[in-house]
Amino acid sequence: MKSISKLVMVIAVSLSSINSFAQIKDAETATVTIYGNCEMCKATIEEAGNVKREANVQWDQKTKVATLTYNSGKTDPDEILKRIALAGYDSENFLAPDDVYAKLPECCQYNRALKPTGQAEAAHAHHQAASPANTAVENASQLQPVFDYYFSIKDALVKTDAPTASAKAAELVAAIGAVEMDKLTTAEHTAWMNVLKGLTANAERVSTSKDIAKQREAFAALSTQLYELAKVSKQDIAVYHQHCPMYSNGKGANWLSKENAVKNPYYGAQMLTCGETVEIIK
Amino acid sequence: MNRYKNICLKLAQAALLLLLCTPALFAQKVVRYDLYVSDTLVNYAGKEKRAIAVNGQIPMPTLTFTEGDTAEIVVHNQLNESTSLHWHGVFLPNKEDGVPHLTQQPIKPGETYTYRFPIIQHGTHWYHSHSGFQEQIGMYGNFVMKKRDEDKTFRKGIDDLPTVPLMLSEWTNLNPNNINRMLHNANDWAAIKKGATQSYVEAIREGQFHTKVTNEWKRMLAMDVSDVYYDKILINGENALELKTVDGQTLKAGDRVRFRISNGGASSYFWLRYAGGKMTVVASDGNDVEPVEVDRLIIAVSETYDVVVTIPEGGVAYEFLATTEDRTQSASYFIGNGIKQLISPLPRLKYFEGMKMMNDMMKMNGDLDDMGMNMSLNRMDMNVVMYPEITGEAGEKVDHSKHGMDTNNDANRYDANALGDIVTLNYAMLKSPHNTTLPKDAPVKELKFTLTGNMNRYVWSMDNKILSETDKIPVKKGEILRITLYNNSMMRHPMHLHGFDFRIINDQGENAPLKNVMDIMPMETNTIEFLANEEGDWFFHCHILYHMMAGMNRVFAVGDYQNPYLPDKAKAYNALQMESNMPHFMIQNDFATNGNDGEAMLQNARWSLGTEWRLGYNAMHGYEIETHLGRFIGKMQWFMPFVGFDWRYRKMGIDEHETNLFGQKNEKDTRRAVSLGFMYTLPMLVNFQAEVYHDGIVRLSLMREDIPISKRLRAGFMANTDLEYMGELRYIITKNIGIRAHYDSDMGFGGGLALTY
Ligand SMILES: [Cu+2]
Ligand SMILES: [Cu+2]
Repeated sequence: MKSISKLVMVIAVSLSSINSFAQIKDAETATVTIYGNCEMCKATIEEAGNVKREANVQWDQKTKVATLTYNSGKTDPDEILKRIALAGYDSENFLAPDDVYAKLPECCQYNRALKPTGQAEAAHAHHQAASPANTAVENASQLQPVFDYYFSIKDALVKTDAPTASAKAAELVAAIGAVEMDKLTTAEHTAWMNVLKGLTANAERVSTSKDIAKQREAFAALSTQLYELAKVSKQDIAVYHQHCPMYSNGKGANWLSKENAVKNPYYGAQMLTCGETVEIIK
Repeated sequence: MNRYKNICLKLAQAALLLLLCTPALFAQKVVRYDLYVSDTLVNYAGKEKRAIAVNGQIPMPTLTFTEGDTAEIVVHNQLNESTSLHWHGVFLPNKEDGVPHLTQQPIKPGETYTYRFPIIQHGTHWYHSHSGFQEQIGMYGNFVMKKRDEDKTFRKGIDDLPTVPLMLSEWTNLNPNNINRMLHNANDWAAIKKGATQSYVEAIREGQFHTKVTNEWKRMLAMDVSDVYYDKILINGENALELKTVDGQTLKAGDRVRFRISNGGASSYFWLRYAGGKMTVVASDGNDVEPVEVDRLIIAVSETYDVVVTIPEGGVAYEFLATTEDRTQSASYFIGNGIKQLISPLPRLKYFEGMKMMNDMMKMNGDLDDMGMNMSLNRMDMNVVMYPEITGEAGEKVDHSKHGMDTNNDANRYDANALGDIVTLNYAMLKSPHNTTLPKDAPVKELKFTLTGNMNRYVWSMDNKILSETDKIPVKKGEILRITLYNNSMMRHPMHLHGFDFRIINDQGENAPLKNVMDIMPMETNTIEFLANEEGDWFFHCHILYHMMAGMNRVFAVGDYQNPYLPDKAKAYNALQMESNMPHFMIQNDFATNGNDGEAMLQNARWSLGTEWRLGYNAMHGYEIETHLGRFIGKMQWFMPFVGFDWRYRKMGIDEHETNLFGQKNEKDTRRAVSLGFMYTLPMLVNFQAEVYHDGIVRLSLMREDIPISKRLRAGFMANTDLEYMGELRYIITKNIGIRAHYDSDMGFGGGLALTY
């Protein structure tokens, strides 16, 4: 029996090795800019783009220009660039999915010049405000934007998405600066003065760090300060004060959420639903 | 690229026909469409193949009406075969429903046939052929009924949005008739193409050997979430499309677009996701629902959803991606102007996690055990164990122990929405904006169906009966039918009711949603109800076309309807029953160095007529033919009694004779024998066969075919009490060709080419 299976294996192997060589036929070339940083980027870009006998990609780390050589009867630059974008790299035609970009190693997280900037995002937020669910925003507390950005940071940490957390934290810093203190209620004002310094410092720590562990550390502190504010500030919706007993070697940490369902920002997907609601603030 | 030539031709033809089918508006608002059904050639996946086009196009043209119109649709059958058109989800007189042999006679080649009915509802629906394998090769199209502007249910901000119809479908270069045969013969070519063989070598590599053995011990073949491999997924007939303008307006930041999405696929469910953020679901199966925001939804075969998407930024085109449930194929639609923002593809399924889950659920007798979870409404998706985006990558263990959570007993362990931060739509989230309760004084008829199936032989049924084994179910006009469905099979089924919308009973009380398709997952129990106030014979069936053709259907006969097109209703019903239990044929032969080995089989849902032969190249090796006619018994069809006929010739020396294990002797060169026996499938999928011949000779044998060693390598063996034995290895090259090496006690060692049809 053994010899038979060997024979079959030999046939199998020889069948599968037939298509391993030969050059690209009907070759055409194109040059395109692909955004990236380092040697590692080069390897990923080229591996994603290359297909045996169909497409070959050479990317220049200095100029960011890639030369695509491809069999024009079988494929086109768009197909190649799409594969590269799905590996995390933007080009003129395609933007990489955000979650794929976020998973690139830190040294590869190039500057996404082609992504629309945050201004448009602010416009987006504004646009959403027009929808009925958020009309309350107009007459809500001055602190509303602070809470909103805090929740965005929390959501990013739930997703273990350091770049987004950092970007949202930068916006939080701006929002803190924009609070008009004379419009706060007395209780809010007192609490605000108490936490202001720490709040700014922690938001900055999240925004300047690219290390998710450091961000989470700062976020834990940030959460305590936001909790102080939430207790005195009137919110349109209930806010859930939640607790993870595990964080920081069992010391535990808290956070605020708009939903009762637990989505743990300190561990993300590792243990998403671990934790519990300890208080509902209305 | 020569596909374009074809399209040019098609375009020219379509332009011509467009003149003919532009809706003509009369005073009484009759909206007329002329549909020319004809053969065409397409090239969707690298090969020129036959397809069916209507007015020169695939999908068929979008038919648009406004509530209150009268539809007049004239079908010109230019095919060489009969056809029909069914108006999926549309309320109409039974004779216009478009089911050949049930509501009308098939439209014959060359015939012109007119469907005419008033439009008394609104919403996103679709239409398709209900004949043979025609829907698979192009006969699907959108059917949109608009609300009147003065409609009381008109929703500002939703019903006034620009709309775009999206018809989802799949394409395979294989003939659908062939696919049907391969499914029935448990051909695993599709699994090979998808990388879903789940063989022993793959199991060992992933440390899942035990899982695989348990699976085979429970007599299961490797399973996938779907069982057909497609070469291309299409949205409106294209694999990638761009939407830059709607109604002449260029799309810009902040714009919202309403998609009217229909799944015209033959057997594929699609995940729908959007790179521009959350989507808002505003209707399902043509019925409004309270807007609900989701990250993704799965659209079952033949369902429709209306989904609103927003363009968050200018200068970017956001990808709307439809991915098959098995995640092997997808189609993209880019919405907006500028650089294309992609969404990440769904990661590959963790098949062995799925196998483990099936092992837990499957009892030794083939019933499913929900372990007290009371599953319903798609809330618990057992398949989440296979979704890396929700339950982590394969091999990654999530440690919950310190939090005092026991993963194995957590009630939420299959609830995607509790497990991850991704919001997935389910039926519990659908809520009608209106009160949908049925009249309190109407009599209620309660029905219960268990959905049953047998993966190995691809028999799909209800209460273990296929259509050809059941009569129509009589229903009084004006009765409420309340139907409870329990899915005791291993696959999900999109159950569709013709002619009515039903309420899906969920926690929304008076506002239970209205639909005409309900997807039901394995082990789920769901209840639907509707008022049977329209007379006629209404089809109720699984919309996975290969399940429908296998017999997973029923007919509700409401009132005593006289159909002018079907004077002899009994005869017509017989024809329908026949069509849903067509025999399928398989033949296989191995041309080997030491002889020919082969078999041929003709089977339907219950009967099997099979012949096996072993033909040596000389008389010493012998010639042998065995024929069995058997009937499969029981839901799992593990037991098959049969009558057999054997003929064999073998030149034996003078003193030679064969003695079996029981000391019985056979001394003749030629032997003709009639036998009675049975075959039983043992754990590990080993077939045990016992046979008694008319001369008293007994033969017992054990055999197993198609043991999946590696992705393409299969092994088999046979041993019997005549002291014959055989072992084989087969390497699969294409769906029809394999290389086979075997050792046979009669014929010795041989190698050769195995061909299968
Ligand atoms: Cu249908
Ligand atoms: Cu149907």
